[in-house]
Amino acid sequence: MVEKKINTVYDVVCPFCGTLCDDLEVDVNIKENLVVEVRNACQIGTKKFFSSNPSPHRYEKPLIKDNGTFKEVSWDEAIDIAADILAKSKRPLLYGFASTECEAQSKGVELAETLGGILDNTASVCHGPTLLAEQDVGVPTSTLGEYKNRADLIIFWGSNPVHAHPRHLGRYSQFVRGYFRKDGRNDRFIIVVDPRNTHTAQIADLHIQVNPNEDYELMNGIRAMLRGVELDAKMISGIPIEKIKELIKILKECKYGVIFFGMGLTQSLAHHRNIDTAICLTRELNDYTKFLITPMRGHYNITGANTVFTWNTGYGYSIDFSRGYPRYNPGEFSSVDLLMRDEIDASLIVASDPASNFPAASVKNLFKHPLISVEPHHTPTSENADIILPAAFAGIECEGTAYRMDHVPIRLRKVKDAPGECLTDREILEKLILKVKEKLGE
Amino acid sequence: MSLENLILLTGRTINQGVALEGGKTTKENVRAAGICAIDKDDFKKLDSIVGTPVKITTDFGEVVVYSTISEEGPHPGIIFIPMGPWANQLVNPDSQSCGTPTYKGMKAKLEIIQTGKVLDALELIKTLKEA
Repeated sequence: MVEKKINTVYDVVCPFCGTLCDDLEVDVNIKENLVVEVRNACQIGTKKFFSSNPSPHRYEKPLIKDNGTFKEVSWDEAIDIAADILAKSKRPLLYGFASTECEAQSKGVELAETLGGILDNTASVCHGPTLLAEQDVGVPTSTLGEYKNRADLIIFWGSNPVHAHPRHLGRYSQFVRGYFRKDGRNDRFIIVVDPRNTHTAQIADLHIQVNPNEDYELMNGIRAMLRGVELDAKMISGIPIEKIKELIKILKECKYGVIFFGMGLTQSLAHHRNIDTAICLTRELNDYTKFLITPMRGHYNITGANTVFTWNTGYGYSIDFSRGYPRYNPGEFSSVDLLMRDEIDASLIVASDPASNFPAASVKNLFKHPLISVEPHHTPTSENADIILPAAFAGIECEGTAYRMDHVPIRLRKVKDAPGECLTDREILEKLILKVKEKLGE
Repeated sequence: MSLENLILLTGRTINQGVALEGGKTTKENVRAAGICAIDKDDFKKLDSIVGTPVKITTDFGEVVVYSTISEEGPHPGIIFIPMGPWANQLVNPDSQSCGTPTYKGMKAKLEIIQTGKVLDALELIKTLKEA
C-alpha cells in the first residue's frame, strides 16, 4: 500500500477578513507538516496559510530581550517574567484579540479583570464608531445570505472590497447568483461612494465621487431631499444636486437595497456621526422599500471580539477594570487615546500589531513601557517587545469559533500542527492567568 | 518640485494585505505599503519618474516613500498611502473622543527629494523607539 503523503482538508474557514469564506481546500504534507496548496482562497488568505509554515519570519520558541537581543527561554520562565510584569503594573493595557478565536478572547477578558487593567480590541481603531452609532440609533441589518438571495441594489460607501474583502463580491454581493437574483451581476445595480475611483468603483454601475471628509453632509443632503426638501445649493460635497436626485430615484425604486460601509466613514472626520446618519438614512429608506446596512469588518474575528467582550462585560471595546468592575468610555479607555496621554505602564498585545497600525505619536509611548507580544510571526511590534510568546495560528493550527461580519458564528478548522513550541493563544492566556493569580495571592 | 494643499487618504490595498501576511519586516512590505499613489495629472506636474522617493509632510509628521501613479484615479488633489507604518507617521491621532484616530483626510504637502532613503518597517518603527 502506498503511504499517503498529502492530506486534503475541505471546507476550511479562512482566518483573514470578516467575510470568513468557508469553502477553502488546503493540501497539507503530513510528514513535513507543511501547507503545500490552498484552493479557493483570495491572494491574502492563500498567503496567510503559506506563512504559517516554518520560516525565518516565524517564532517557534519563547523569547526574552536581554541587552537588546532576543534569547530563547523555556515557557515556564517566559510566563513567569511576563506575569511578573503584568502583576506589578498599575495600569496594564491588554490589546488585540481580533485575529484569534473566541475562546482565547474570553480568556483575555478574565486576565484583564484579574489584573484590573484595560481591555481593548482592534475595533478601537476601525469599526469602534460603528458600535457607538449602533448603540445610539440601533441598526437594521441582516445576514449575508439574505443579501445574496435578495439584494438588487448594493452600495459600497467608503469601502473597497476588491482590495480589502476580495471574495465578498463573488460570494455575497455583486457577481453571485441568488434565489431571487438568478442572473447574478446583471440582476444587481452597484453604487460606490468614494473620493477615489477605486477598483470597486471601476466595476460598479455608478460612482459617486464625494469630497474627502464630507460624507456626513452628503448623507444628510440625501435625507433632506428624500423628505421633499428643496435644497438651496448646486452641489453637496462635490456632487451636483441633479446627480443626487438621480441617486435618490434609484434608492427609492429598488426592491431590496443594502449599504456596506467601511473605514471611509469610520476613520474620516465626524466618525460615529457618519454611521449614525448612514443608519438613519437606511431606516428612512424603509418608508419606500426594503433597505439594510452592514459594516465591512476587517479582521476575521473582530465581530467575535466585540461579541465576546460584550457578553462578558456588557461592552464591546474600550473597557477599564481598574475599579474592579467594567467601565466603558471610548476616548478615555480606548488604546490610542490612552497612549497619547501616556497613561499605561505595561502592555500585553495579543494577535495584533499596534506598532504598524497606530499613529506614530502613540507608538512612541507604547515603547516606553514593558511590552509583551503574543504573536506567531515577526512584526514591528514583536521585534520591539520585551517578551515574545509564540502562538499558533487560530484557524490553521488550532480550532475555535469566529464571528463573520454579519454575526454568524462559524467553527474554524485545524489543518496542521503548529511548529516548534508554539502554543495556542488560549493556552498562553490560561498560563498567564494562573501565574498572575499566584503572584497576586489569589 | 513639490505639490501643496493635497489631501492624504490611507487604506487597505491587496498588495499591502498580502505583504503583511507574508512578512511585515520584508522588502515586499516596503514595495506594497511604503508608496504614495499620486493622481496621473498631478504626477505630470512633478516632472519625475515613477519610483522617485518623495517626502510627504502633514501637520502630524513626515515620511519618505516611493512615488507611483494611482491606478484608482482620477483623483486630483488627493494622494493615497496604503495603511501601515509609513502612513501612520502622517495621520491625525486625534480620535475626537471616539477612540478611532482620523486616518483619512489630512492636508499634506509632497516634495521630490534628491537625497533620502525609504526606510523599511523595522527601521521606521525603531526611530519611534529611540525618540
